[in-house]
Order: sequence, then C-alpha cells, then structure tokens
Amino acid sequence: MNEDVWLTAPIAVIWALLAVAYALAPWGDMIGYAWVWGFGSVLFLGLTVLLSRRPTPASERGETIP
Amino acid sequence: MMTDPSHSDYPQRLAALPRQDARLLRAMAGASLVALALGVLGGLLTALARAGFLDIIPNTGYRFLTVHGVSVFFYWLFVAQAALLLALSAAECGRGLVWLRAARAGFALMVAGFVFSMIGAHVGTPLLYDGSPGLGADSPLGLLAFSLGYLLLGLGLMVLPASAIATLLTPRWQGRQQSLSAVGFALFVWAGFLIVTGFAALYAFLPAALWALGIGPFPASHGTNWHIVFHNMHYLPLMATVILWYVLARVLTGVRSIFGDRFSKIVFSMYLVFVPPTSLYHMFLEPDLPGVVRVTGSLLSLFVSVPTLTAFLIIVASLEVHARHQGGRGLFGWIGLLPWRHPSMSAIGVAVLSMGLGIVFAFVLIQGDLAPLLSDTFFVPGYFHFFTVGTVSLTLLAALAVVLPALGGRPVWRPGLLRWMPWLAFAGLLVFGVAGVTAGYLGVPRRVIDISYQGLAPSLWHGLMGAVGLGGAVMSLALTVFAAGIAASLWPQGQRAHEPAGPMVAWGRDAVQPGGSAWVGPVSILAIVIAMYVFTAIGFELMRSLPVIAIGGGGH
Repeated sequence: MNEDVWLTAPIAVIWALLAVAYALAPWGDMIGYAWVWGFGSVLFLGLTVLLSRRPTPASERGETIP
Repeated sequence: MMTDPSHSDYPQRLAALPRQDARLLRAMAGASLVALALGVLGGLLTALARAGFLDIIPNTGYRFLTVHGVSVFFYWLFVAQAALLLALSAAECGRGLVWLRAARAGFALMVAGFVFSMIGAHVGTPLLYDGSPGLGADSPLGLLAFSLGYLLLGLGLMVLPASAIATLLTPRWQGRQQSLSAVGFALFVWAGFLIVTGFAALYAFLPAALWALGIGPFPASHGTNWHIVFHNMHYLPLMATVILWYVLARVLTGVRSIFGDRFSKIVFSMYLVFVPPTSLYHMFLEPDLPGVVRVTGSLLSLFVSVPTLTAFLIIVASLEVHARHQGGRGLFGWIGLLPWRHPSMSAIGVAVLSMGLGIVFAFVLIQGDLAPLLSDTFFVPGYFHFFTVGTVSLTLLAALAVVLPALGGRPVWRPGLLRWMPWLAFAGLLVFGVAGVTAGYLGVPRRVIDISYQGLAPSLWHGLMGAVGLGGAVMSLALTVFAAGIAASLWPQGQRAHEPAGPMVAWGRDAVQPGGSAWVGPVSILAIVIAMYVFTAIGFELMRSLPVIAIGGGGH
C-alpha cells in the first residue's frame, strides 16, 4: 500500500460524511447533493481498491521476463 | 525495471502513440474547437446585442446566449478536458490508451449530446445554459432535446474517463510502476471527478426529460440539483487548468516541482477534499437558509481556492528558482527568461493574470451579504469571463498547442503571430471585465438583452455596455485567431517536423542551489488578498448608496 491509496481513501470518507450530512439536512431539499456525493464516495472507494490491487506477475500474464 | 514517465518528454511520447489513439485524440480536439467556435460566435452576437450595436428581438438574443453558454461552458470545456485527459494519460502510460472502446463510446455520447443540445437551443423557448424546466414548460419538445443533450454529455463523462483510469493503472498492475507520478495521480483524480460530474448531470436533467416524455412529475427541485452540476462544472475546469499548468511548465521549461511529487499529489487530492463542502455558497440566495448554514457556507467558501493557490505557488516558485539559477535577476526580472516565444507560454501568462483578477472578484461575490445584491447583475458575467476565457480556455488552448503539433508532427502554425493573440484577448477581456463589473456594481441586470427600460435606464449603463460589446468583440477575434492557428495543426502533413512542439527552454537538467529565494508567488497572493479587501469595501459602499433591498432570486 502506498501514498496513492492514502491520498485517495480520505476523499471517499469525506464525501461519504458529506453525503450523510446532506441527506439529513432539514433545509433546502439537499437530497440531490447527498446522492451525488454519495455516488462519488462509492466511486472513489472503488478507485482506492483499484489502486491497492497488487501487480500481476509477468508469468501469470503470459509474458516472459526479459 | 520500474519506469518513471515523468522522466520522459511528453511531446515525444505523444508523437509515438498508436495511430488509432492519435486519430481519436485529434477528432476530440477538433470537435472541442468546433464547439468553441460556435460558442464564441454566440457570445459575440450576444455582446453586440447587449451593447446595442445589433438590433435584434430579445428572444433571438436569448437564443444566442443559450448557444454561447451551452457550447462553451459544457462542450468546449469538457470535450477539450476529456481529450487532454486521454492524451496525457496515454503519454504517462507510454504504451497508448487502454480500453479504447470506452474512450470512443464516451466521445460519441458527447458529440450526440452536443447535437441534441444545439437542437434544444433552437427549438421552443431559449433555455439559457441551465435548462430550467420552468422556462421550457410550454415547449416540452425543446426541453426534451435540451435535457437529452446534457444527459448524453453526462453519460459520456461517466464512460470516457474509465479509459484514462485503466490506462494510468496498467503500468502499476503490470509491475512496471510502483506508484503514480504526480501528474499521473492528478490525472487519476481528475478522471474520477469527471465521472462524478457526469452523474450529477444525469441526476439533474433526467427528471426534466422524463417529464417532457410524459412519464414523470414536473421537476420542482431542478434549481437545487442544478447548483451541484454547476459547482462541479466550475471547479473541474479550474482543477484541469492547474494540472495543465503543472504539465506545461515541465514541457516548456523542463522544470519539475522543487517541493517533490508527494507534495504535488497532496495538493491535487486537496481539490477533491475542499471543493464539495464549499458548494454551500450557491444556496445563499435561498430565502429559507438558516443563519448558521449561511455563516458556515461563508467560512467554507474561503477554502475554495486553497488548492488552486497552493498549486500556483508550487509552479511559480519552481520556475522562479530555476530561472534565477539561469541568471534571472530582480523581483520580476526572471520572468523575462521564460520561453515567451511559444504561444503556450503567452497563454499561460495571461491565464495566471486572469486567474488573479477572477479570484479577487469571485471572493467579493461569494460573501453572504453581497451575493444576493450582485448575483443577478452583470457583475457575474463581468468577472467569470476572467475564469472561463482568460484562465481556463486559454490554458486548454495552450495545452492543445503542445499536444496537437506533437500528435500530427506539424509545427505550431505561425508562433510569432499566435503568441500575441492571448495578450490581445486579455486586452479585450480587461475592457469587457472592468466595464462589466462596474456595470454590475451599478445595477445593470444580467440575462436581459434590452436594458433601455423605455429610456428610463441611466445613461451610464449604455456607455458601460458599449465597452462590454467592444471588449467582447476584441476578445472574440483574438480567441478565434488563436484557436484557428492551433487547429491548423490538425491538418495532415506528410513529413514530420523536427521540433513540432515549438520554441522551449530546458532548465530541468541543471541542479539548482539549495536556499534559493522565490518571492513572486507569495507577493502575488498578498496582492490578491489586498485587492479582495478593496473591491469588497467598494462593493459594500456602492450597494449601501443604492435604494435597493436584496430578497434573493435565481442562482449565480
């Protein structure tokens, strides 16, 4: 796990908190904000998972090591 | 062996891309420039009409304004961003685009969206760029076409960045790269933010399309949903601008950040941390907004430019330290050593100055007490053209002036002429912006084509709007020549040029001495803060002298 993961994961967390706050806000009909930042939170969570995926060894990819 | 793409030369990497990638990227750049040309034409006609130089019925003027806003703000800015995102991602990877079909499908959706948006702009009531269902209620067909345009654009923005993400991650998954470079990370989060913005467009415009088809209720919450699309659509181009400055500084001068890749990554990730919570200020015009939320929104809005200004400081300080190492002297003398003969450098210079002015007036506008007074005046178009034209459009064009010659192997067309066009555009922008902001302070309404009010309007309004028309005409002419010159690189050429990217310097090879000074960045920020204070004070004094009470209205 490297810095890319640690810099991307907080985006997912902060956006999730923001989505919850907007979903519960009693004013201004902010549910749209909640949906958009909630979607963004899930997306960046997915991107964080992709960033933390380990490299596939060359032998498993069918490549020869030069 | 691990590869570090940042050690390689972007123009050379772009020139080596597979032919199918280059063809797609050139098509996308061409489509974005068509949208820009149409948008500039619509803007010019609108400015001339508002100045009273063009005698048209108001409805025609609103149609020009719709074409202008939709073409420039949604299609030029976002198709160009998508093209540059893919181009730079492919250059980072070094082996061409991955998931090319997703990139092609996303582009096709965007083009289809543009066609529908233009149909919507010409059918029924002109909906301006926000496509309010309230305006289109009497013409459901026009509203449907208009909404379909943004829905297709939104889908395109969700599909296309997947190719950039897969391209950026492939070297890592193949074990050729341990972590993304600073530019790679910036492109990665930029791609993610584009997908979220595409989703926001779907969320905002799907209800209007369903209503127009007769299968959904009337979208009563469109205004609130529009705010979120609008917020993202504003800050994405600014984020793209700063990323492109970062890349172009390296391409044009060879200089990398003196603060290191990790700090740059932190700044790029800050965009996504700071931008969403700051969106509260768009709600300032809602009359039922609680006071505590209004205060919180005002405080959060102060953070909105933190990432932009920090990235600006990184770039300027890195350039200054290297330029001083090359012999640059005096507080500003080192700036003369930058490669100003390259049109991209001129465009970036103008973009930086425009951003400074734009930020000053933006902070005036987003203050809780001034927002209701200024948001429906010409202050808004007066200031935001410093961003849309001076900052973002010129930066995108600066990047295309590097990317397209590299892709096509054709040198930049007449760089000696083109390098002056950003400065000419800036001259027009200054006239347009200063007259527009002054007009806004004096109460000239925005989105009103005829401001004569049966001869009751103050005569000063007409003089100011005349200056707006004149500045707009100069700005349009310069921007058109600059864009057309860059588009000339799309023309096929048989033999590849030796130096397609144009005149540059290579300072990055020399190690700089530790402890070098770099003052221009901090001095610029200080100047911006002082100017914000001055213009806020002027705004309050002027508004207090006017016999008006702000009660809120539409969003800015």
